[in-house]
Amino acid sequence: MRRSSWLKSVVAVAGAVGIALGTVSVSGASPASHERANKATGKPIVIGAVIDETSTMKPFDQPALEAAEVWAKKVNAKGGVLGRPVEFKVYNDELQPALTKSDAEKAVAAGAKILWVTCDATFAAPAIEVGLAHHLLTIAPCTSSSEMGPKKFGPAGRLAFSFGNEPSTTGAVIARLLMQKGWKTATVVTDHLLTYFLDVCENFTADYKALGGKIVSQLSYTTGDHTISQVASKAASSGASATVLCTTTTPTLPTFVTSVRTLGNTKPIVGPWSIDGGFWEPKTPKISTNLWWATYASVFGDDPNATVRALYSQMKAEGEAPLTGGFVLGPTALEGIVTAIERTKGSLTGAKLASALVHFHNVPTLSGLVSFSNAFHAVVGRAEAIIEVSNDKPHFVQLLTPGKYGLVLHT
Amino acid sequence: MTVVGYLVNAISLGALYALIAVSVGLVFAVLRQINLAQGEVMAFGAYSLWLMRSLPIWLAIVLCFAICIAGSLVLQVAVFRPLRGASALATLIVTFGVSYGLEALWLVVFGPNGKPVSMLIRLNNTVIGGAIALRWITIVDIGAAALLLGGLYALLFRSSLGLRMRAVAEDFSTARIVGVRIERVVTVAFVLCGASAAVVAVLETVQTPLVTTTLGLSLIVVALVGVVLGGLDHLGRATAGGFIVGFVNSLLGSILPEQQLVFVTSLTFLFVVIVLVVRPAGLLAPRGVGVERV
Repeated sequence: MRRSSWLKSVVAVAGAVGIALGTVSVSGASPASHERANKATGKPIVIGAVIDETSTMKPFDQPALEAAEVWAKKVNAKGGVLGRPVEFKVYNDELQPALTKSDAEKAVAAGAKILWVTCDATFAAPAIEVGLAHHLLTIAPCTSSSEMGPKKFGPAGRLAFSFGNEPSTTGAVIARLLMQKGWKTATVVTDHLLTYFLDVCENFTADYKALGGKIVSQLSYTTGDHTISQVASKAASSGASATVLCTTTTPTLPTFVTSVRTLGNTKPIVGPWSIDGGFWEPKTPKISTNLWWATYASVFGDDPNATVRALYSQMKAEGEAPLTGGFVLGPTALEGIVTAIERTKGSLTGAKLASALVHFHNVPTLSGLVSFSNAFHAVVGRAEAIIEVSNDKPHFVQLLTPGKYGLVLHT
Repeated sequence: MTVVGYLVNAISLGALYALIAVSVGLVFAVLRQINLAQGEVMAFGAYSLWLMRSLPIWLAIVLCFAICIAGSLVLQVAVFRPLRGASALATLIVTFGVSYGLEALWLVVFGPNGKPVSMLIRLNNTVIGGAIALRWITIVDIGAAALLLGGLYALLFRSSLGLRMRAVAEDFSTARIVGVRIERVVTVAFVLCGASAAVVAVLETVQTPLVTTTLGLSLIVVALVGVVLGGLDHLGRATAGGFIVGFVNSLLGSILPEQQLVFVTSLTFLFVVIVLVVRPAGLLAPRGVGVERV
């Protein structure tokens, strides 16, 4: 079920001035897959997806879900999960806390046995609380922080998991990238907007130092505080061989890059998945160059995994091309759920599924090897795809694991 | 960066906020109405620059001005005219609603990811490098603000139209009785607001080359705080208030120790709160002087 949003009412009014509304479309299935979907004939396993299809989390939530829906059709075509088809019931919460909570309750009332939430633990908290209160396995497909789990939600959080990478893993991957490239001094710029940014930069710093790198300068700002130009000036003149920037694709990101480049600094600027996509880059080759990020897959047509490329092409052909590599986390989360159900021999009890998940050790998925533990309810140790932008052209460079690093702050 | 660099940056951001504040102040002076929707006119202008990215720059800028002025006039007719005579608080709430609605509209029409605008990006290059790091856009910011504010001053105090505007600002009803064509004065005020919005849209997209739905509201809220800080009842003081808020914000961002930078916005607003507790009529309002609107 998809809720009509009040924004559509706004657009209905705007229609009078000729503005067309692009309604959110469901990932369509090919006729062939519809026919084959009948192979799974048991009672559907309902996953209640309470996500944002309207606001700032839409670029992350929607592609992950749509990719998961495509994947679900494949699962169902192969006989489903122990004979039961997977079915998503989708609710658009528009990132409004009250709606997030009520949608989660509706999903539970509609028979959801697993809750699928927005890729940010803070935005998703009202839905997560509902899921945990009903003892349901609660999954955020692409939250890349350690917040899904007991850390943020107490003992009940043992039922909460994310299929994004732990920030420690991402921090270590970036640290290894810098050392591999010979960038032995770094300036670290942290946006205080989200805990994720702090965690990634903190973990990067620890691992980079452990690898022999030297932090020349630690700078910070908060998106919206209008200080990004000053921060960029300090970063540009720091003399470091690379700048690591932990932020996301808010307007401060292109402002920072533009400011640094126009001050004559052409050295690498490196960031985590949250700057993936390239849509934010200034369309000026001299500025949008020597930019790097670590993500889950390449959305630039050159991912080394043929299945990923095929999935991307299918979504693009259906008019829903994902903007970031995080879309592979949708199928990854579904694969994880399927494996957990199979390991519990068909149980949908939250505690049993959670118990199966914490025993995941290098479980192969579309996005790589997935491991959890009692301590880590986000993925640890999985390789990340390194993307480089040269002259405004992004391309895949390599897959890079955190190696033996990535847990420095936790052990 | 040196102290000179900090000050130049602070003046630049102050100038940008002064340009926004003058629009809010102008509408308040003429109509006694608070125009929070002005931010969305700027956002509309910024999005229009993205829409016209394949056109020659000069043409895109000219069209941006036309669009902002048209948008401002539509607001005047659709929102402010029906609210004529309503309290400032009522218009504040209504225009906040309009602003919020337009922001939602941008979200639906343009999406949440932002639209890159690389027009005039070379203005970010430095005139003086090194520790001062003076950029062309900083000079353009300050120059544009000086030009626009100077022009507005000349219009208000050196022309008959300005005289009529000041008359309307002083006493709306009496001005009408003595034959001032009120609608023409109001229309001119909104045309000036639209032009100011276009200037801000161009300057802002040069420095922040990604237009997002929150552009308008994020700018107008700070500018409104500046207007209140300076003194809502007087256009010059309101404009100066906008400048002061931008200046203080930028300066704090430059001089605070790294660990304290998270408090930039909080400290800026704390400064405003303290000023308003001590001087409720505004930082620049003279003690014991009656209300003067323009």
